[in-house]
Amino acid sequence: MTITSNRHAAYSMENVIDKKTRRSYKRQRFSAGWSLFYKNMVGKIGLYLLILFGAMALASYIPPLVDPMYHPMTGVDPLISYASPPSWRHWLGTDNIGRDIFSQLLTGARVAFLVGVSAAFISIVLGTLIGMIAGYGGRIADSLLMRFADMIMVMPSLLVILLLSVLFGQLSIWIIVILIALFRWPAVARVIRSQTLTLKKRPFVDMARVAGASHIRIIFRHILPNVLPMALLYMTFRVTSAIIVEAALAFLGFGDPNTVSWGMMLQWVWKTGHMFQAPYWLLPPGICISLITLSFYMMGRAMEEVLDPRLRKIQKADYAAS
Amino acid sequence: MNLKSLLLRRSIEILVVFGIIMTGLFLLFHAAPGDPISMMVDLTMTPEDVERMVAQLGLDQPIWIQYLYYIKNFFTGNFGTSFHYGRPVIEIISERLPNTILLFTTATILAAMAGVWLGKIIAWYKGKAIDTWTTIFALVCNTLFLPWISLLFIWFFAYWVGWFPLSGMMTPEIWVNPEAGFFAKAVDVLHHMLLPLLTLFIVNTGSYLLIMRSSMLETIKEDYILTARAKGLSEKQVRNRHAAPNALLPVVTSVGLSLAFSVNGGALTETVFSWPGIGRELIFAVSNSDYPLAMASFLFIALVVLVANLIVDILYAYLDPRISY
Amino acid sequence: MKVFFLFSDFYRKTIAASFLLALCFVLASCSNGEKDGAILRIGMIEEPRTLNIWLASDANSRKVISLIYQPLYTYDPDTLDLAPWLAQSMPEYDPETISYTVQLRPAKWSDGTEVTAHDVVFTVDLIKDFQVPRYYSQWQFVKKTVAIDEKTVRFYLAEPRAIFLTRTLVNYIVPKSQWAPIAEKAKTMANPLIALMNARVEKPLGSGPYVLAQWREGAFLHLVKNDHFFGSGIEISNRKLGPHADAILFKIYGTADVGVLALKKDTIDFFWWSIQPGYIEDLEKDENTKVYLSDRSALYYMGFNVRKPPFSDPAFRRAANTVIDKNFIIERVLQGYAARMDSIVPSENLFWYEEHLPRYGQGLSRDDRIKKAHRLLSENGYTWETAPVNRSGEVVTPSRILLPDGRPMDDFTILTPPADYDPARATCGVIIQEWLKDLGIPASARPMSFGALLQRIKDRHDFDTFILGYGQLALDPDYLRSFFHSANNRPGGWNMSGYSNPEFDRLADESVQAMDPRIRQELIRKMQQVVMEDVPYIPLYNPAAIEAVGEKRFTGWEQMIDGIGNIWSICRVKSTEADM
Repeated sequence: MTITSNRHAAYSMENVIDKKTRRSYKRQRFSAGWSLFYKNMVGKIGLYLLILFGAMALASYIPPLVDPMYHPMTGVDPLISYASPPSWRHWLGTDNIGRDIFSQLLTGARVAFLVGVSAAFISIVLGTLIGMIAGYGGRIADSLLMRFADMIMVMPSLLVILLLSVLFGQLSIWIIVILIALFRWPAVARVIRSQTLTLKKRPFVDMARVAGASHIRIIFRHILPNVLPMALLYMTFRVTSAIIVEAALAFLGFGDPNTVSWGMMLQWVWKTGHMFQAPYWLLPPGICISLITLSFYMMGRAMEEVLDPRLRKIQKADYAAS
Repeated sequence: MNLKSLLLRRSIEILVVFGIIMTGLFLLFHAAPGDPISMMVDLTMTPEDVERMVAQLGLDQPIWIQYLYYIKNFFTGNFGTSFHYGRPVIEIISERLPNTILLFTTATILAAMAGVWLGKIIAWYKGKAIDTWTTIFALVCNTLFLPWISLLFIWFFAYWVGWFPLSGMMTPEIWVNPEAGFFAKAVDVLHHMLLPLLTLFIVNTGSYLLIMRSSMLETIKEDYILTARAKGLSEKQVRNRHAAPNALLPVVTSVGLSLAFSVNGGALTETVFSWPGIGRELIFAVSNSDYPLAMASFLFIALVVLVANLIVDILYAYLDPRISY
Repeated sequence: MKVFFLFSDFYRKTIAASFLLALCFVLASCSNGEKDGAILRIGMIEEPRTLNIWLASDANSRKVISLIYQPLYTYDPDTLDLAPWLAQSMPEYDPETISYTVQLRPAKWSDGTEVTAHDVVFTVDLIKDFQVPRYYSQWQFVKKTVAIDEKTVRFYLAEPRAIFLTRTLVNYIVPKSQWAPIAEKAKTMANPLIALMNARVEKPLGSGPYVLAQWREGAFLHLVKNDHFFGSGIEISNRKLGPHADAILFKIYGTADVGVLALKKDTIDFFWWSIQPGYIEDLEKDENTKVYLSDRSALYYMGFNVRKPPFSDPAFRRAANTVIDKNFIIERVLQGYAARMDSIVPSENLFWYEEHLPRYGQGLSRDDRIKKAHRLLSENGYTWETAPVNRSGEVVTPSRILLPDGRPMDDFTILTPPADYDPARATCGVIIQEWLKDLGIPASARPMSFGALLQRIKDRHDFDTFILGYGQLALDPDYLRSFFHSANNRPGGWNMSGYSNPEFDRLADESVQAMDPRIRQELIRKMQQVVMEDVPYIPLYNPAAIEAVGEKRFTGWEQMIDGIGNIWSICRVKSTEADM
């Protein structure tokens, strides 16, 4: 009796320990990864920059509360109706109609995050799904989807989006986001597909299948968790390219006129003829665009080294394409 | 699969893709509101004038007839006549495309060579301060917002310091001077090219450097490098003769693809520098509803990209026998 | 390994190439030193698309063409009246036969042959035969053109037309010797008009001060002095004509910024483009550059689709006009470099402009404008759940406006051109949207590409409101008729608002045939009153033409309406280096 109960106790103990160690192992792996990431100079700089931009995005809600004249789009300084250099009242000066550049810059951070993260997220979801289906589905689905991916990959995406926005009038920021996402999934799909192909041959997938798991369950339960880190890694690079595409569009005058993005700010400097006369207006948005893409890019590279050195061969061309 | 059948398969694929792009483009332009004639905001242009123009340009015919004409014209090498230039489109493109290719090929090749050279050296110092800082510097260069930095460069180098011309491709004073010979003209074009070249070089070198560095780090781990070292070769020899050549592969791919895509981002660079290339022409044609010109420019750009992709694939298969398709 | 050798070879070549590049660079900087005092260098923002006069519709092409082809009459820079140009004197009108007789000046084409009455007849017949767009409507009512002798031409009109003098006679005359063969050939083609418009004229034969010497596509245009120019040395409108520069170089700068830098760096003498106000301060600081501010004959306005409610209600439109602060737009968006407009005819056009018009919101504060508009609307049956002005007379944020029938007003759009095309109008759209919201009017500004915009407004009439403008409005106010006559209210017609008023139509029809300028003036002024009472268009502003020149090498620019880029300037600017 005692023996049995003991054994039972021991068994349950074991079970508990197993669960605990597993959890702590996970935590350990995470903290190991984190310290590796944090030790990485590049990753550290990227992270700090990102925190800075995040703070800017959050802070963007403050200025309009202080005074309606700090509203980035519609607020104008009642006393200033020309581009003015930095002052106490306007830390980075005003644009030509008297709007505060600092508050525009803060709002720009919000828009950049919004555009970058949502476009990247959509493209990652698409890419991951399509990649998994292609990899898991085999022959016909695979070759059809991958040919389709190839096709989209060779499209000069910036030009196509430009073409669309010229032909169909000024696009709203959400349509731009969706368009960017639609052109950016193929590279992800390719990588996820090849990962899925190797995963498919792993014993645990076979076991799941033998146990009677449906295809959908296998894909989402067993394959997805394993390809997720890779997808996340790709997301950082996608954020970068989405921000650049949006900025380029806006810079050329094809952005959403109702949003204050950094690209729009550059466009305003450019089109109103202040390019070479108002450095306080020209420099900040350009620096911000460059730095935010830099920070995401750095984060991505650092993550890449943490995840798996073998994964380092990121499709460079894809970045070049942006 | 051997090279020949790969080539065949990829070519067929490209033809299909091109066909889809062609049709898509046609439909897109026809679905788009606005036509080139009603674009003219001239009060002297009466509705009757517009009707007459539309009829004579054949824009009032059913869409499928127009589509057939479009396909037929394409295969007979006739891309129509530009609405605004009044000249055959093919003529305009053949003037602009070489300018684009000249600028971007030079920039890409120079940047790739510099990037390879620097990446090769930097990889050898992995973990040292110089490696970290060079990597960061390369990343910074690589993520600079191109049109913005171009404008800053124009202001600084062309205006403030005055080393380069402001924009364009030629100094008219030199070209109209009957005494100026071929050499002077060539020098003039080069002089104009330097600033866009410098900008593209700075931005692109960073990316090649990073690819080369990563690739080198991968290669160094291979057994044959160990063997080479064991043979007692000098570090420099190991690096230059054994590691570098094998690490070049990803760079080659990247060069091919970024050449193709330079026409894509090139539209921005060309606009800022007023470089009379095809990207700038495309943007202009689209925003002015010059359909024949816009469609043909886009098709040419797509064709360049597709062919470059094909070449990269073949090159890749040729260089790396491990790759099979 | 193969790749490696390939590349190492590359290295050697690169070093050689970079050396060559450096060398070239050095050489090129030396060659920059030379200067030719007699070349007038003009900057342009875009390259001209074509020099075929019948095709050219873009501003830059027309600038170059205006130096090559010449009209019979042009506008006097001071009075804006007609001044004889290719013609010797003012035309003689014969009311009996409704004909005008024009005497030509001794003038030659650039190949040395005489400009004759046959050229004039040929030009008119060509326009009428081919029904050339843009020109045909101006010559349509000319029944017959006859060459009386080599230098005398007579135009017989089908009916009296006021615009014949002010509009038709300022059109260009082309040489028969060059265009007759082209026209003959075009007639044999399937699409003669297109063939004519796409005909290539390598060396246009002109009668103007300059002729084309070389056009390097994508880079520059080189024009040289026309030795046969009829105006050389003679005096027209009290101005002695040159031209004094031996040649003109048109240089292309894709963006205005670079054009302005070029001006400051003295690589051009004149930037032929109206620049943004932002540049003025900087250019005025520079002692080598000078900024010219000129009045323009332009109209920037907001239009309503009066075909549908509530825009069909004049009271609604008046309220909108009241709440729009034109001075704010001018001060902020245009940096003060524009004139307020209260009529469709710019106030600079003194002869035709009507002064006594309703001023709506002028001079009122924001709150007062809202109150006045609120009063106007509530008097006409509009209601709110929360009115913009509360019981104690304070301005508050209103709820959505309810139309006289009690329904809440639907969202509507203010269509504007895109920001890259004109940032001012796109910004205006956003600002006006905010003002209308102060009245609970649910407006949202929507910039769209120009082609799409025009198609919706002009062809399909599928819009609510829009902001458009005419940068170069003719001096003759015949456009009033185009904008508001009910006959032009059709797809593709210029009455985009769909305005229809029998009284206006009657006045407009009378004005067409009024040959006495005084009577016509009266009619035109009355037409403005009618229109401004109904406000189908809300005139907003008339921007100034801001142009800049480098004063170092050339002086003597002629300022007139629309700026200094005109034929008078080109004929009169003098080099500062050599005294002629």
